[in-house]
Amino acid sequence: MVSYIVYSIMILILPLLLMGFLQKIKAKLQNRIGAPLLQPFFNVLKLWNKTQILSEDASFLFRFGILLNFCIATYLILSVPWLNFSPMIMGLDLFLLVYLLAAARFFNILSALDTGSPFGAFSGSREAALSFLVEPSLVLCLLAPGLLINSNVMSEMFAFKTAVNSDNPAVWIFASLGLFITALVELSRMPVDDPNTHLELTMVHEAMIIEASGRNLALCEYSYALKLTLFFGLSVQCFLHAVSAFLPSNEWLTLFFSVIGMFFLAAVLAMLETVLVKLKWTKCPDFIAYALTMGMFACIVALRGRT
Amino acid sequence: MIFTLLILSSAIMAVLMVGTGQVRSNIIFYSFQTLLIALTTCVFAYVENEHKHYILALVIFIVKTMGLSLFLLWLTKRIGTARDTGTFLPHPLAMHLSVLLLIFAQILSCQLPHLSKLEDFSAGGTAGISLILTGILFMLTRRLAISQVLGFLTMENGIFLFALTQASGMPLFVEMGIFLDVFVAVMISGLLIFRIKHSFEHIDVTLLTSLKD
Repeated sequence: MVSYIVYSIMILILPLLLMGFLQKIKAKLQNRIGAPLLQPFFNVLKLWNKTQILSEDASFLFRFGILLNFCIATYLILSVPWLNFSPMIMGLDLFLLVYLLAAARFFNILSALDTGSPFGAFSGSREAALSFLVEPSLVLCLLAPGLLINSNVMSEMFAFKTAVNSDNPAVWIFASLGLFITALVELSRMPVDDPNTHLELTMVHEAMIIEASGRNLALCEYSYALKLTLFFGLSVQCFLHAVSAFLPSNEWLTLFFSVIGMFFLAAVLAMLETVLVKLKWTKCPDFIAYALTMGMFACIVALRGRT
Repeated sequence: MIFTLLILSSAIMAVLMVGTGQVRSNIIFYSFQTLLIALTTCVFAYVENEHKHYILALVIFIVKTMGLSLFLLWLTKRIGTARDTGTFLPHPLAMHLSVLLLIFAQILSCQLPHLSKLEDFSAGGTAGISLILTGILFMLTRRLAISQVLGFLTMENGIFLFALTQASGMPLFVEMGIFLDVFVAVMISGLLIFRIKHSFEHIDVTLLTSLKD
């Protein structure tokens, strides 16, 4: 019962808090004061109370796509083991996760195209290009832990109790690194897309939601935050499995480390976004190839450990 | 365990080196690779209880990790080349191919006879063969003369690792002689790159076959 309450509080608070923390650290690193830590909460509340303006050319698909995106993100946050204790909906298959993410992206692209704005069109095509480049690495990074224990159920793969999946740290480290790079691409963060600018040349994710306003935009931002939590959580869980030999077996302590790890990843991302410049669009595949290589390494080590 | 981890991560650094066209990042990856090899040699010396390998590790660290890497970094800055455009294979594909070569090296090294006293003998063979193959791939897919030097150095690392783990290393004087050779070879090739750059205004090896008045 306590774990359910803690889990619900985590889901409600952590995503937007992570976004606020990310913005704050980034501002600090760039010598700005920055928005308060709770700014994403205020933003969502403000947008929720605003009137929404829909394009005249938009059909039902526009709102449907945004809503479906939010629903899938909510379902995934409830069923993926992004925290150390077991989720509410058990037995999510890893391929279902990949396909649900693809479906969310598909409807996202549709709703971006639906308003008929050129911004939506080019961002849709860019998002599609990025997503098919990054999908193999996501599959391989999640498959490697599955190979260790001969299962493709997420909650079994990420269970802390079994000894089999914790005595092979290399697999988990590669999976963790691969998932982090994948997260950067999936969430269109810095090396492939600059989330701060609203310049035609650089936008991917921002241009997709440029037609959304009011409640639609609030839903978009919230589902983005949920996805960020999901990817960072998975990456941190992989890392915690790698070092699980040194961790105490206390569940609450592991939860504490998971949350700290996610904030640490957010800080790393803020640092990357301060230091790095956006890659030239044609150089993006070179960067994404590293995620795939990490996934391949993870799978090789997992297969080597099995024989 | 830690020996296997170190030795395989040096091979992984070589694989990651293939993936980028930035000459600076290539050199930094090479430097990490040799640092890991120096650490491996230290661990090897501890396991085998042979003191000459400590000297070897120190020499690797000084000559290769610091000396050659800094020299090559200085050279790239001096001749002003930042990026290698590659020949027939794009960099990401070359990196994935070298992952496959790593698997091939693993299969090969499993066939090798047990010569060393080490527990996990196949990891050393895997890393050695993989480094040699990756170095060859690196030389094949690159255009700049400085990348050819890096590929050659990677191959040399592979041969060293293979000798170290499969035959418990060569006599100290032979190793020292090889280091001196490599050092001199890189210095001379640096000089040559300088001259090529001076007279041809590029260091693209694919264009060197055409005659020039």
